[in-house]
Amino acid sequence: MRHAFSVRIGPVGFRIGSDWRAPIAALETLYRDYPGPRDGVADFTVRLFARRPWRRFVRPSVEIGGDYMLPEAAPLPLRQGVLAAEMAMNLQMALGARRYLLLHASAVERDGRAVLMTGISGAGKSTLATLLAAKGWRFMGDEFALLDPATGLVHAFPRLISLKNEGIAAAEAAWPAARMGPLLRATPKGDIRHMVPDARAIAAMDTPAAPALLAFPRYGFANETRPVPPAEAFVRMTQASTNYVALGEAGFRGLTGLIAQVPSVAIDYPDGMSAVAQVEALWSAL
Amino acid sequence: MPDALYRGPPEDGLLIAPLDAFTAVYHRASGITHLLTEPAPHILAILQERALSLDSLLDRLERDYDLADGTREALAARLDELVEAGLVARL
Amino acid sequence: MSDDTRSDQDPIPVAGPDTGSAAGPATGDSAGTPTRRRVLALGAVTAGAVVSIRPALAQTVGSVLNCEIPVPDPSRAGSYIDPDGKTVPARTKGAFPPSPRAFKGEEVKRAMANGSTLPGTDSQRSRAYVNYIRRLQRGQGGFTCFASLQMPRG
Repeated sequence: MRHAFSVRIGPVGFRIGSDWRAPIAALETLYRDYPGPRDGVADFTVRLFARRPWRRFVRPSVEIGGDYMLPEAAPLPLRQGVLAAEMAMNLQMALGARRYLLLHASAVERDGRAVLMTGISGAGKSTLATLLAAKGWRFMGDEFALLDPATGLVHAFPRLISLKNEGIAAAEAAWPAARMGPLLRATPKGDIRHMVPDARAIAAMDTPAAPALLAFPRYGFANETRPVPPAEAFVRMTQASTNYVALGEAGFRGLTGLIAQVPSVAIDYPDGMSAVAQVEALWSAL
Repeated sequence: MPDALYRGPPEDGLLIAPLDAFTAVYHRASGITHLLTEPAPHILAILQERALSLDSLLDRLERDYDLADGTREALAARLDELVEAGLVARL
Repeated sequence: MSDDTRSDQDPIPVAGPDTGSAAGPATGDSAGTPTRRRVLALGAVTAGAVVSIRPALAQTVGSVLNCEIPVPDPSRAGSYIDPDGKTVPARTKGAFPPSPRAFKGEEVKRAMANGSTLPGTDSQRSRAYVNYIRRLQRGQGGFTCFASLQMPRG
């Protein structure tokens, strides 16, 4: 493992080792404005490796590993190395995070309070967060929101924004000057392009926010908002958290606290700008 | 032959969070989270105080509440569910 | 343990925690007039009042990993899958042969979510495969990828 890179994203430091230079070079470029791990000590290790020595050169494919690994993970071709690295970092978080309750949600902040947007892949979490950030919200993350069970605050995890399919064009239109990774076609999740969060998001990554609205967006439907009853929101969030069970009591207190204190709303929307309008309308009415 | 007794967890054995019509309950001994709806939370609270037989529990509930057309069989079904979930022990 | 901290003035029509659901028996007065005890519904015999939170295919898995699920798992390679999803000896009548390729996490999630057929299969075979995947216990190949993301560690 001859190539390495370290970075801190929010409260989490990663050290990434790779059998190939290319993904490391790409990460160094995209994450160049981010700090290193606190005191130089990483919280998680990621490894991008070749299953056999000759697979470094012949049909090179990247296996994902690190502190936490899963045997049924399928490798990715080398040209999707950045995607492999991002997935690997997500995997470490998903399996290893214990300090925070991990919510599969994007988050944006205004005046110290945050909107969390959660849902299945394709619901529009990443795109919505990007569009809201373009309207002046502070971007906190597009994949995981870190909930501190003791304080109820949400901590930012602003890794590279993972834009998919139609979301790519929408985000590029909203952020014409944004730095982007390569367009990766035909990945397991469709076309993907990574976008570097804006400077404000990176600078503010250590500032938590109080959650104020929990939204369940659904893309491709006529505009509609409706309240989600607390029990339903709670159950959906247990399914949207990778470590709810592992955190035990702290997970229960954190999640029930969130649901008790924050209104939950389902938002159906036909396009990004309608969603943004609905979120902002709900926010003003809080 | 004595009737079976039903016993809930000890007083500090549960974390309870009412949500709406459902109450979320964290069972410390198992680490499992359950969602309970009426009448389960009430039954559980009573059985945390003391172990009761089905009939004693029915008497207690009839004293505290208007059970309308609730039946002994319905209560037995509720107890079975709580036992199945690991929240109540059948002694 | 959960307080209703939201204000009554909330203009958004969202549901909040219902403090009215807390039970409390009414006490009668000393004059002997009938008490109005709160109604407690025991429910029908067949109804359910307890639901346990079970980890499902964690919705994050697609972002986290490119999981593959072989059907059946490698330890039971060669077994056929019956319509209920149980593994049975090869060539059992009414059962389906193993899938020639493993399915991707996204494919399985989609099939489970909206009943679409798994790629390369017809609806009956797909249903059998999906039932098999549902039955997979933790620790058997093909499921750990998803299970690990939510089930207790260790």
